[in-house]
Amino acid sequence: MNFPSNPWLELTLLFPILGAIVVSFIRTPALAARWCVGFVLVTLVGSTAAAFSYTRSGGAELRSDTFAIDDLSAPMLPVLTLLHLLTMLGTARSRVSPLFCVRLLLATGITLSALTCHGGSVLVALLVLAVLLPVWDLKSRGLRSRGYWVYMALFIGLLLAGWNRIGTSAPELTVGLLVLALLLRGGVVPLHGWLPTLFQGAAFGTAMLFVLPLMEVLASLRLLLPVAPDWMLKAASNVCLVTAVYGGGMACVQSEVRRFYAHLALSQTSMVLFAVMLHTSNGLTAALCLWISTTLSLAGLALSVRALEARFGALSLREHHGYYEQVPGLAICFLITGLASVGFPGTIGFVPMELLISGSVDQGLWISVTLAFAAMLNGIAIMRTYFALFTGRRPTTSVSLQVTSTERLGIIIIALVVFLGGWFSPAVVASRHRVADELLQQRNGGVPSRESSGGRH
Amino acid sequence: MPALENLLFFLGLLIVAPPVLLLTVFFAAFLADRRMQEGTIGRLIQVTVTSSLLAALSAAAIMLAMGTSQFPVELGDWVITPNYHLKFEFVLDLLSLSYVILTLVLCGTIGAFSTRYMHRESGYNRFFVLFAVFLLGMVTAALSDTVETLFAGWEMVGLSSVLLIAFFQERPAPPRNGLHVWIVYRVCDAALMLAAILMHEINGAGDFDHLVGAHAWPEHDPLLMGPHFALLGVLFIIAAAGKSALVPFSGWLPRAMEGPTPSSAVFYGALSVHLGVFLLLRVSPVLDSSPWLSVLVVSLGLVTAGLAYLAGRVQTDIKSALAFASLIQVGIIIAEIGFGFRYLALLHLLGHACLRTLQFLRAPSLLHDHHQLENAIGSRPREEEGIWEQRLPLGMQKWLYRFSLERCYLDSMLERFIARPFVALFHRFDKLERSLARLIEGPPKSPTVVVEARQDLP
Repeated sequence: MNFPSNPWLELTLLFPILGAIVVSFIRTPALAARWCVGFVLVTLVGSTAAAFSYTRSGGAELRSDTFAIDDLSAPMLPVLTLLHLLTMLGTARSRVSPLFCVRLLLATGITLSALTCHGGSVLVALLVLAVLLPVWDLKSRGLRSRGYWVYMALFIGLLLAGWNRIGTSAPELTVGLLVLALLLRGGVVPLHGWLPTLFQGAAFGTAMLFVLPLMEVLASLRLLLPVAPDWMLKAASNVCLVTAVYGGGMACVQSEVRRFYAHLALSQTSMVLFAVMLHTSNGLTAALCLWISTTLSLAGLALSVRALEARFGALSLREHHGYYEQVPGLAICFLITGLASVGFPGTIGFVPMELLISGSVDQGLWISVTLAFAAMLNGIAIMRTYFALFTGRRPTTSVSLQVTSTERLGIIIIALVVFLGGWFSPAVVASRHRVADELLQQRNGGVPSRESSGGRH
Repeated sequence: MPALENLLFFLGLLIVAPPVLLLTVFFAAFLADRRMQEGTIGRLIQVTVTSSLLAALSAAAIMLAMGTSQFPVELGDWVITPNYHLKFEFVLDLLSLSYVILTLVLCGTIGAFSTRYMHRESGYNRFFVLFAVFLLGMVTAALSDTVETLFAGWEMVGLSSVLLIAFFQERPAPPRNGLHVWIVYRVCDAALMLAAILMHEINGAGDFDHLVGAHAWPEHDPLLMGPHFALLGVLFIIAAAGKSALVPFSGWLPRAMEGPTPSSAVFYGALSVHLGVFLLLRVSPVLDSSPWLSVLVVSLGLVTAGLAYLAGRVQTDIKSALAFASLIQVGIIIAEIGFGFRYLALLHLLGHACLRTLQFLRAPSLLHDHHQLENAIGSRPREEEGIWEQRLPLGMQKWLYRFSLERCYLDSMLERFIARPFVALFHRFDKLERSLARLIEGPPKSPTVVVEARQDLP
């Protein structure tokens, strides 16, 4: 492997793998959890330092053949590490196991490696590797994994077939296979069956670490965008749009909280993928900003749901539970992260959602209307779930169910990120806009896109 | 006079800053896990509202003295890309200052009233946090000079209103009604968001002055023509209809009375319900772009007023009766806007908001007085009968009574033709999804294995 000279990146990629090795020797769950948090924290420090050092250096000297930070990956490194940290903080101590910690650290390593790798083959290999972690989780619980495995086998097959055909004749077929593979990984309708199955069967943490980093978005940007023909991206964007509405509608009628979350995630991630497939300056800027906001806000939402599950078991949405009285902090966290995910003003999601809907108007007003409709459905689903979980009469309990100090730390982090992220949106948007234009230039063979060079103001 | 302009700019910011600071204090308390004392919250609310109100009154006085009818408070471009331009800007003019002063006066009154009314209520802190969100939302929306600023305030008002309707959350009805109102609000929010995007398409920016010219409200450039403006007008009307409970969304207003009396008074009797009216006043030049839009606005207003009158006649609880009485006036104000009487509509709005707040706050003690009166005279006071109802045929009377009692079937129609088919469709999809999952997964394992496996879900 050929590492760049930036030591922070090397450390960022090595810490989680090292952590996985160390934790695999620990048999005590509590100790494993402490070590795991420590390793993820150190990785977070490393990834933040790597992103900063890249920004300060101007980015020129940090490129290499295999792993390197670029404008696209620089802010995503700390964001995705934070996602893994929040996942660990949100895992109740009574439910944590050494194996879960190992899987989490491996997932961190795979995700960060995929984000920073520059070779297409390495990225493909990492995408395939990431698929195996949920299977491991399902198998270790003695649950069937066929519902997940069938879809993922198809994904791997399509991905490898497409990748192996690169450079051969019929390039459209090659790209078509890759598009299909990535749409399947993104869970677009009707190839989304694995997503609710995964959320219902696997550990919540494992499922969210597979879905929320949005690796299909990364792969689309790295593998598809430079080569895919316009008509194919347009067709893919339409499928994503349908999925966004479908996911929102399904989230509104679910009776179990995990299925609600799965469909909400489906709708939100489809919007990001839709924005990528638009392949316009505004669309890509929106996609890159939405990637950050969706990942973090859905992670915060999951933190609340997991903390509730740890206290009260599987949650039904058929009745009102009245958990507010016992865990008001979780109620507030659920609400602000849920609203941030649908673009509530003042939160991290507001500007990206505005950018997305406004950026899509060039494709036709009906597309903006459909997106607004999907966002509306997601908003309704979130409030319905909030009312089902946190309102109603709850009999008092003899034991304290207050949030633990670790959960509180997670809530504080996510609350600060959701609101401060809203205030720092302008800087993020400016940097993401630059990246979007670079991606479009690469697609157009170095010619600046018509849109990015000027236009309406 | 740059010094006075600087002062006006400063005062413009000073109107918004205290509600922002108040929310920041509440947020910091949440992060630090500290529960604030009732007295502290009461004082914070007083200081916030008073300082904002003094700033607004000073700005109004200076503008009168300077003879300035419009003063923009530009906060600069927030997000700017070659194709997108998001700007937060406030404006001080007759409409914005009137509405913001009304907001602050009523919020100050209700704030003072609520510190006593909500004393020792378990959700005291929650009430005032939501009150602070509402206050910031109203001030932001009232002063907005760009559609994005308006949208930000609009959403905050919506969220706080819904959570206050569900304030008594241990009962089943308030959350149910809160969700109903939220759904209506989301529809009107989506319409407003699309209107904002269309404004960007038309003008390249969301500034209202790009749309109506640089004149002070209610004057405007007479050049707004074309199908885009008609569509924009329709979107604004849908947004206003949702927020102000116009037909066909009127059903949410009586549902909103589930919340505590102070919130009903300030939100649904006075301020929140007038936000749609305010929106139509702000974008009234768009309505002038097509006579059909004006006809639509007048019809919507009159139909709403008529139906609200009928429904209001058969209400048996005082808050619902007041809600429909509010709606009658809102309908008339909307019709006034459609007819082009902008000053009259503004005056009507201000007067109605104050009167209705007083009536809502008086309602609980009025009931008490009424009971005392009944005890004193030994029977129920004779109720006034309508003059024209008796002249209708009996069958018609019965039909009209049923029609009014069912709140003109508006909710039933929305439920039957929109909500139920939507839910049924997605339930069908859900069933299909589960069947497919079962088909792929094969027959289930023995229940013991599954239960054991699920027990350690992190």
